[in-house]
Amino acid sequence: MRKRFRLRIHEALEQMYFLGVQSLPIVFISLGFVGLMMILELAFHMRLVLKHDALVPAFSAVLMVRELGPVITCLLLTSRIGAGIAAEIGTMKVTEQLDALKMLSIDPFDYLVVPRWVGSVFAAISLTVVAIAVSLWGGALLAIQKLGTSSGEYFNTVFFFVKFPDVIRCLLKAAVFGTLIPFIASYQGFRCGTGSAAVGEAATQAVVRSSLAIIVADFVLTYLFYAI
Amino acid sequence: MEYILNLTKTLGGMILLAEKWIKLTFQGKTRWGFVIDQIFQVGVKSLGMTLIAGMFVGAIMALQIDVQLKDFGAESFLGGLSTSTTLRNVGPVLIAFLLSGKVGAYTSAELGTMEVTEQLNAIRLLGADPVEYIILPRIWAVIISSFLLLIVGLMVTILGGVLFSQFIGVNALSYIQNIPRIVTGWSIVLSVVKSFVFGTLIAIVSCYKGYTARGGAVGVGTAVQSCAVTNLILIIFTDFFLSMISSLLQELFQVGYL
Repeated sequence: MRKRFRLRIHEALEQMYFLGVQSLPIVFISLGFVGLMMILELAFHMRLVLKHDALVPAFSAVLMVRELGPVITCLLLTSRIGAGIAAEIGTMKVTEQLDALKMLSIDPFDYLVVPRWVGSVFAAISLTVVAIAVSLWGGALLAIQKLGTSSGEYFNTVFFFVKFPDVIRCLLKAAVFGTLIPFIASYQGFRCGTGSAAVGEAATQAVVRSSLAIIVADFVLTYLFYAI
Repeated sequence: MEYILNLTKTLGGMILLAEKWIKLTFQGKTRWGFVIDQIFQVGVKSLGMTLIAGMFVGAIMALQIDVQLKDFGAESFLGGLSTSTTLRNVGPVLIAFLLSGKVGAYTSAELGTMEVTEQLNAIRLLGADPVEYIILPRIWAVIISSFLLLIVGLMVTILGGVLFSQFIGVNALSYIQNIPRIVTGWSIVLSVVKSFVFGTLIAIVSCYKGYTARGGAVGVGTAVQSCAVTNLILIIFTDFFLSMISSLLQELFQVGYL
């Protein structure tokens, strides 16, 4: 009897490259702009509320690390890899490659889903780290230009207000989101019907359901981490 | 190098499609019956999802801003600050992300299937223009329905914030009373403008990606994927630029401050 659920190292590495490394440029560019935007918007709000903008870097960095960093990164990842996974598995179903795998006595779950799960969790965690770094640097750029804080002051307040548990919780969030994406997407792929219309439908449903799942999971996790 | 060429090709194609859309609309060739039909197809189906998403986005922001304001000792600003942050940028961006998945990916999958199964070629053979018959009503339908859905979603975020603040022990009445102190008319105008621009982006990108899908079931899958990715990146870009323009205008004319 063959051992069940063994991890295929080669496939997992391939998926890590495909899901993680190839999503890097998108995350890099987008989260840089999100960092700029947060400084801009919070500068407006802080000027309205507190009449000065000394706390803008701290507020935006905390919001970024706790909330928007993991969520926006994983929503970007969803649209890139969620639709991709569902379309790929759906196409395999339509062209009867899944049946061929079963004929070779290879479990499709073992062969297709587990490597994607490993790759996706890896991608979500590492891309979130990159995303937060990029957004903090982007924020520094705008804060120095627009608010007139010095770079030392900026990073000082950021590191004073962002605590280590925040970073751990942020990575936990990313890991949960990274788990949700491939499972929902490959579920949609496996139950895909026949024909090209069904593949499109599966990819659409994968994106919609995993984005919604990410938003709901984010709410639950934030509540568990910070309100209890 | 190939990446840059592809990017230029995509951007150019979308601009040409937008040009054709505007030209055909001014020539009065829009079939409003089809548009209303498509709004029912696309918009009404997405309403439930938008309501859920809006509720949760509002609740998340209320909770997060509450926790953060406690660190800075400024809890009295909770209602206004969380509503204003949600309305001005977080809400439109997150809800537009979800709509680009629902409305955009649905449209591009449908158009991609039509292209791949050569239904668009059949329309060309009948001597009609597929852009006029199929794409023009869809662009208008997606613009109108995403705009309306975004507005509804943003309203629901306020409701979600109020309900959740009651749940975590902030008085709902003081939360609501705090909202008009910080949310200005300018912020509401900005969020409406953002909603309209995001709706237009979703429409153009998804119709372009669906129209240019090639190569069977794989092509449809690729079209949906690249439609979702392009939408998200463009939404983030335009969100930043709209915020930038708004802050420049506010500084120039001194409006929007209390």
